[in-house]
Amino acid sequence: MSIVLDRLTKLFGNHSVVDQVSLELANGEFFVLLGSSGSGKSTILRLIAGLLQPDEGQILLHGRNVTHLPPQERGAGFVFQNYSIFRHMNVAQNVEFGLKIRKISVEERARRREQLLDMVGLAGLDQRYADQLSGGQLQRVALARALAYEPNVLLLDEPFGALDSRIRTQLRRSLKEVQRRLKVTTILVTHDQEEAFELADRIGVIDRGRILETGRPEALYSRPRSLFVATFLGAGTILVGKAGSGQARFGSLSLPIPPESAHKDGERAQVLFRPEQVVISEEMPDSGIPVVGQGKIISRIFSGAFQRVRVKLPHLPETRQVSPRVPFGEEGLLVDATVPAETSLNRERVWVGLRAWHILEEPHLRMLLYVGKQEPEEAGACLGFARDLSGRINAQVTLLGVAENRESADELDRLFSKDELVQSFDQPDIQIRTGNATEHLIRMQQDGLYDLLVLDAGSCTNTMLMELLECCTTPLLVAREKRKELQHILICTAAGEPGKNDVRVGGRLARRLNASVTLLHITGNGDLSSVAREHLDRASATLRGLDISGAVRIRQAATPAEGIVAEAGEGKHDLIVVGGHGPRVRSLFKFDDVTFQVLNGVDRSVLVVPVEEE
Amino acid sequence: MMRGTTGRNISGRNALPLGLLVLVLMPLLLMPIAAVFIFAFRGGPGAFLRALSSQDAQFAFRFSLLIAFATAAINAFVGTFAAYVLSKYRFPGKRSLTIMVNLPVAIPTVVIGTSLLLLWGPIGLLGQMLQPLGLQPMFSPVGVLLAHLVVTFPYMLGTIKPLLDELESTYEEAAYTIGASRWQTFFHIILPALRKGLFTGTLLTFAHSLGEFGATVLVSGNLRLRTQTAPLFIFAQFEAGNIETANAVAAALALLSFVLFFFLFRYTGERVI
Amino acid sequence: MNLYLATIKLIRVRRWTEKLNFDRRILARQMRTWFPSMFWILLFGYAVWPWMPWQARPPVTVTFYGFSILEESMNGTVFPAFQDTWREASGEHVEFISSFAGSGTVTNQLIMGVPAQLALLSLELDAQRLADKGLVSRESWESLPHGGIVNRTPMVILVRKGNPKNIRDFSDLARPGIRIVHPDPLTSGGAAWAILAEYGAGMRMHPDRPHQAGLETLKGIWRNVVAQAHSARAARMQFENGFGDALITYEQELLWDRMHGRLDFEIVYPHSTILTEHVLVVVRRNIQPDQRNIVNAFVDFLWSDRAQTLFTRTGFRSVNDRINESNPVFGQIADPFTVADLGGWEKAKREIVDHVWKEQVLKELGRGR
Repeated sequence: MSIVLDRLTKLFGNHSVVDQVSLELANGEFFVLLGSSGSGKSTILRLIAGLLQPDEGQILLHGRNVTHLPPQERGAGFVFQNYSIFRHMNVAQNVEFGLKIRKISVEERARRREQLLDMVGLAGLDQRYADQLSGGQLQRVALARALAYEPNVLLLDEPFGALDSRIRTQLRRSLKEVQRRLKVTTILVTHDQEEAFELADRIGVIDRGRILETGRPEALYSRPRSLFVATFLGAGTILVGKAGSGQARFGSLSLPIPPESAHKDGERAQVLFRPEQVVISEEMPDSGIPVVGQGKIISRIFSGAFQRVRVKLPHLPETRQVSPRVPFGEEGLLVDATVPAETSLNRERVWVGLRAWHILEEPHLRMLLYVGKQEPEEAGACLGFARDLSGRINAQVTLLGVAENRESADELDRLFSKDELVQSFDQPDIQIRTGNATEHLIRMQQDGLYDLLVLDAGSCTNTMLMELLECCTTPLLVAREKRKELQHILICTAAGEPGKNDVRVGGRLARRLNASVTLLHITGNGDLSSVAREHLDRASATLRGLDISGAVRIRQAATPAEGIVAEAGEGKHDLIVVGGHGPRVRSLFKFDDVTFQVLNGVDRSVLVVPVEEE
Repeated sequence: MMRGTTGRNISGRNALPLGLLVLVLMPLLLMPIAAVFIFAFRGGPGAFLRALSSQDAQFAFRFSLLIAFATAAINAFVGTFAAYVLSKYRFPGKRSLTIMVNLPVAIPTVVIGTSLLLLWGPIGLLGQMLQPLGLQPMFSPVGVLLAHLVVTFPYMLGTIKPLLDELESTYEEAAYTIGASRWQTFFHIILPALRKGLFTGTLLTFAHSLGEFGATVLVSGNLRLRTQTAPLFIFAQFEAGNIETANAVAAALALLSFVLFFFLFRYTGERVI
Repeated sequence: MNLYLATIKLIRVRRWTEKLNFDRRILARQMRTWFPSMFWILLFGYAVWPWMPWQARPPVTVTFYGFSILEESMNGTVFPAFQDTWREASGEHVEFISSFAGSGTVTNQLIMGVPAQLALLSLELDAQRLADKGLVSRESWESLPHGGIVNRTPMVILVRKGNPKNIRDFSDLARPGIRIVHPDPLTSGGAAWAILAEYGAGMRMHPDRPHQAGLETLKGIWRNVVAQAHSARAARMQFENGFGDALITYEQELLWDRMHGRLDFEIVYPHSTILTEHVLVVVRRNIQPDQRNIVNAFVDFLWSDRAQTLFTRTGFRSVNDRINESNPVFGQIADPFTVADLGGWEKAKREIVDHVWKEQVLKELGRGR
């Protein structure tokens, strides 16, 4: 193993940019870290080079623990995005710098320099200065310079970021060749998947400081395990359906589930098919390949050898589409396909079949639960509620306990670990912290690691709620009636436009819970404006897209909050879904905020869905 | 190297602004300097040389040069160090510190002289404590050096810091990963990148020190053969009515300044690698 | 044999020149770096030369501060004379470190703490300021010969060549149409002396009503002042540049210029004028034990016939009239007086400068500040 990263963590402030990253690279391997900007990929590279110190974890290079060594003693070659060619030195001096530092003889230096410049295709330019070279040439010098002293490992930080595409292609090719010849273990960081596919022996997809999956490019592309990787690497259609007797069912479409990603019956199942795996034909395809249905071509984009076609099909029952995203207010199924450019598709309506597909592994929802400090009986009720909920929506629970000091933290830990209810969760993750609960909650949900925050209403003060409403980017469920199952969900659209996110999140929850949904609209005068009607129609369509039928209820009230509280008071609904307003409104309305009034006014559980960040 | 000609040629239309510039420069710059030279040689070259070779003039010249050399050398080090710290480190109060070290440009040199005197002088805050120890920095060459260091400090900083700011941080990091130690990096990578600035800054410091008057007149005590710099000597001769002597030394000083600026333009006007 | 050697020499020379011509461009480039380097090395060498260890350092120094007009006579004659005397007596070389500026400036510098051992001031008033600040005691000059007065020079009138306005005395300056350049008594020691001269001359002209006469003279003269310069030197400069008909100034300066053939004006000796007196102050606290002898020797030397004669050669009048008599350059003053005749500096300053000039003359002329 030439590079081993063992649970590497780097914090910037309270935020972990690199989170428990473990990785092992074989000798001579070309590894590409692929991630969007801010995912922590460059930070990992800088940690390996020693330009940053990790907060936790270890780095081994060729079996040597270098975690606490300065960059000079690690022997890593580093190529920076901006090249950082020493401007007062010519190409030869730049390349020889590492050798000169190591006091290598002049002849040996010259020999090595010539060999390297030849290899990177810069022979004869050794007397040039940085300002006499093009970007691509500078990049080649940077590469030669990093390789000159025969580093243990080669680290490249977005090396082609600043170059135009033609030069990129050339450089990629020569980089790959040089790497093969020298057999130096290499990590390259990029956000460009094309680059990753072309160069990598293995790709690691990184998101929010965590390496989600690693694997050979083809494997990652065609058989990703997680939804994120599936959507991040290349285009494709992803549908969510249900598993049953070894099949994944998406309405009429039924696909066999391979044994390595076995699903329980009734569990969610996700399928991915890439555009090139889709068959488009004017006639109904032969039996033998699964048919998604018949639809209408809504767009065609010509791109050289191929044309990309988008087909809109009618909605498949009991199916939700994740990608490509269906616009809000529409129903139906969108499928992207690539077909050879010469294919002529004259008819508007075409058949869509599948040549190949891939069933994703079932991801769990992640739920953060806080029951606060209260009577055991009360807490127990809430724990029971959370366990039932997590079981039904198939969520993994993290239980947060916040103590005042170290001793009470130990006490709490003991309490939790022997509590029967806690232990009845499916693999509970217990986290004990000291200090302010609100702060911990806000910080923990910040990294987007949780899909749902569940709080016991009895354990929150108004100030705490206010702060959470203001800062949380995760849906927040304030649990009240703990012994009741959530069978009827009320999605409040209040006066104006219903929050798109309220409908989506509420609908998804309803789908997982198998609950019924009522869309509530409050008007001041009893009339329904055309705008409001349109909004309601679009919300209903979105719900139908999630395979849920939503009833619409219109109610007259002086204020939206009053209407919602009155409707909830009639007792038909188990969960009220309202939109949060984020940090904007508090300064304006403070406790007059609708969300806050609803939270305080109803005796039901309330789900607050934060505004979507656009 | 070919040099592109971006300027326009002098044609009828451009002659006007050029003429105006010369017209403005004539009474402001060229004529006063010419006057110094004319007055310096009014008594003939013999008188000029006699004035220059007097013991006092020779001392003043040498002392001025010595102080200028010392000031330039010390400020080259301290200024570079300060620029490095101010440019590469992050710490609270950095902004105010940057403003503070640049202050000597903004405040009159006489004020700097006064403040030094009030601090280090025999009746000053620190000077009072030094007096019993037999240490007396003011009215001595040390005092003059101190004043010149303070007054010229921003020039070094001002030329080095922008260069360091421009230097991306990966420049140093590249050297580290290649295996260069902190010192090697500074010596082989940072310093050469600052070469041009070091030349310019040192020359500027030298030139300013050579001409410094306001602070020097206060802290030196204007002692003949001990702390009298060339500008002080010129002023003293002028005061004493020895206009010819004053002009002779002034002319020599001006000549030296011309040479310095000739170097300055050569270093900055051309690529220095 | 000789031919053989000559040939070898020739070949060597040729090789050498060939080498030189090998590449002119390289040579030129080397010159470009050589020239500045040589320049800097030479400049540095020149600067440090006197401080090199092989240069003999003067073992004893005396630090002397003096008011402006003393510079030439001290640096040019008195210091070298004492250096010779001292070398003959002790074999030691003594170095004088000196600084010359306006009397007020010198006094301020002394108060700020310059390390002067001796100071020669143009006014006893400045010496008193030093005593007030506790820097020296009054005895430091009063106990010296002649009460510390080293030399004198009368205040005289300088007029244009040929004396076109026919000015003969201070009283003529009060005539309408005369334009006078006068230094400012608030900043200039010479101007304070000039006021005493004008007032005193008036007093002595009319012994029956001295103060009335003094005031009138002063008022008459100041009515004609057209330019007021911050120092005696600056007033002289204005006059030389063609400003005004008359200037009141030290005789010494004019004599010095006349000795050097630079005086294009005429000196008018008033019937009665003041002899300015210059006071030596010994700053005991700045004298190191090993300097005591030499400082004392120099103080004594200042009143020796040798030094006093040297002063007369540079235009000052000696405190010893015997020495003045032998000198033909001094003009005749029928009725000279000193500040002692006006009751001493403290009284003169209080009554004449502050009370009469500032509060009466200026106010009446509408120039009060």
